[in-house]
Amino acid sequence: MDLNALGIETNFGRLDWCIVIGYLLIIVAVGVYIKRYVSNVTDFIVAGRGLKTFLAVATMIGTELGLVTVMYSAQKGFTGGFAAFHIALASAVVALVVGLSGFIVVPLRRMGVMTIPEFYERRFGRRVRILGGTILAFSGILNMGMFLKAGSLFVMGITGMTSEYELKVIMSVLLGMVLLYTALGGMVSVVVLDYIQFVVLSFSLLATSVLAIRHLGWHNIIEKVSELQGEAGFNPFHSEGFGTSYVIWMFFLGLVNCAIWQTAVIRACAADSIRTVKRLYTFASVGFLIRFLLPYFFGISALVFIAQNESLKNVFLPQGAKAASDVTLMAMPVFLSQILRTGLIGIVSAGMLAAFMSTHDSYLLCWSSVLTQDVVAPWFKKGLSSKARLLLTRIFIVAIGIFILVWGLWYDLGQDLWDYMAISGAIYFTGAIALLVFGIYWKRASKVGAYLALICGFSAILGLKPIQVLLGMDVSSAIVGLVVITFAITLMIVGSLIFPDRSISLERKE
Amino acid sequence: MNFWITFWSIFFFASLAIFAALAVVVTIGGFFNIRSLFKSLTDRVDQHDDQS
Repeated sequence: MDLNALGIETNFGRLDWCIVIGYLLIIVAVGVYIKRYVSNVTDFIVAGRGLKTFLAVATMIGTELGLVTVMYSAQKGFTGGFAAFHIALASAVVALVVGLSGFIVVPLRRMGVMTIPEFYERRFGRRVRILGGTILAFSGILNMGMFLKAGSLFVMGITGMTSEYELKVIMSVLLGMVLLYTALGGMVSVVVLDYIQFVVLSFSLLATSVLAIRHLGWHNIIEKVSELQGEAGFNPFHSEGFGTSYVIWMFFLGLVNCAIWQTAVIRACAADSIRTVKRLYTFASVGFLIRFLLPYFFGISALVFIAQNESLKNVFLPQGAKAASDVTLMAMPVFLSQILRTGLIGIVSAGMLAAFMSTHDSYLLCWSSVLTQDVVAPWFKKGLSSKARLLLTRIFIVAIGIFILVWGLWYDLGQDLWDYMAISGAIYFTGAIALLVFGIYWKRASKVGAYLALICGFSAILGLKPIQVLLGMDVSSAIVGLVVITFAITLMIVGSLIFPDRSISLERKE
Repeated sequence: MNFWITFWSIFFFASLAIFAALAVVVTIGGFFNIRSLFKSLTDRVDQHDDQS
């Protein structure tokens, strides 16, 4: 998209480029320097289980508040208005309940597992671990497949850059920097950099929110959304907006985000005690709220700003048609490029790009660890040495990096980025919910039930738009997700009752 | 619709205030946590070196 052709000039200048480049170089140097503190695979994957409350909160929010989250949430705010706030509310309420009760995460920490499939092995056996690990890694890598694209659209929107070639080079260099420090420093690098990201991003997002309100006026924002979207822009249950099934789906996603998704659970596994785990989730519930709420607000502000600008309105809000997903994704960065002044726009962009890197590093580390610990290592009966595991994890980090570079360039999104993320994640978590909840809290949950739930969860892939186009279907991702979850839970219960594990059968005979 | 406008307005500003307070507390507390993490990791690396 050429903003200059629309008579729009970005405020992003040379000073901002200097801020961004300087900040990113410092981040990478710190990340690489930290390698000296890593002595074994536990240090590498869970930072020696030495995270205390505040650092754990910062790193959890630093990871979850990434550029990709900001992009897809802003898009939801742009298309859904204030009604999108219900997603933030659901996320916070569920994280708070998990923090107060310790639901799922405390038993996992108590067991001392490093990954969720490791729990599968302890509860259901080695083969369930391998299958669960394979599905988890597949889903997770697919889920991060759109990260580069979202990052590219942000850079284009905020800097006004139009050359696709230059953009691809920049994104590849950013990815290369992440690969470098993640492969060397592991979780210790990740937590320290997440902390820095948390500080920079928290304060710059708060400042941006205040500026957006000052620029547009709160009452003007409310009036404009009301004019453009009517009641659906405020009431999440309205049938023309999100609707009830979507709201229920978001509560499931809230649970998944904090207690089932491996990148969040790994923080619980890395905490130094059970008390820290509970405090982490209680505090982080505010982070889970904000990571959605502020970007939704930026998306809503972008909607109002664009609606007041005729040339932008023709591109982003065409009459009688819906703008493409790639276009609505760019609304927020274009808005920021107009309201933020030189200097501040550099700091915000540096924070966002650093956040882009911080999400990548956590996800790369997470999925490569799962592939090493849960898919490859269980095949070796004598086990793999710590050195071999470290090497393998580093190889997987690079391999996943290459995959997402290719995938991000050719995959046609065809739906809101948030819905893509939700449904690609659902391939794993619809089955995982059944395994974790029933595996922890129901003694009779069996291996057969676990297999059935995992395989059923894989069918959530039907929610992806290109798959639906291929099969001639048109069902909302929320409906697909809810149906698959229901089936996975049912199969877990029925499979466990009909085919109980031998130990349970023997117990009953006695 | 008025209910939702009031609800989301209060919700937004209250969340903003809570997050601002949390950001300050976590920034300060996190700094001290990093110092103690490095100290414990340095001890482990030293032990590891002594053993090998």
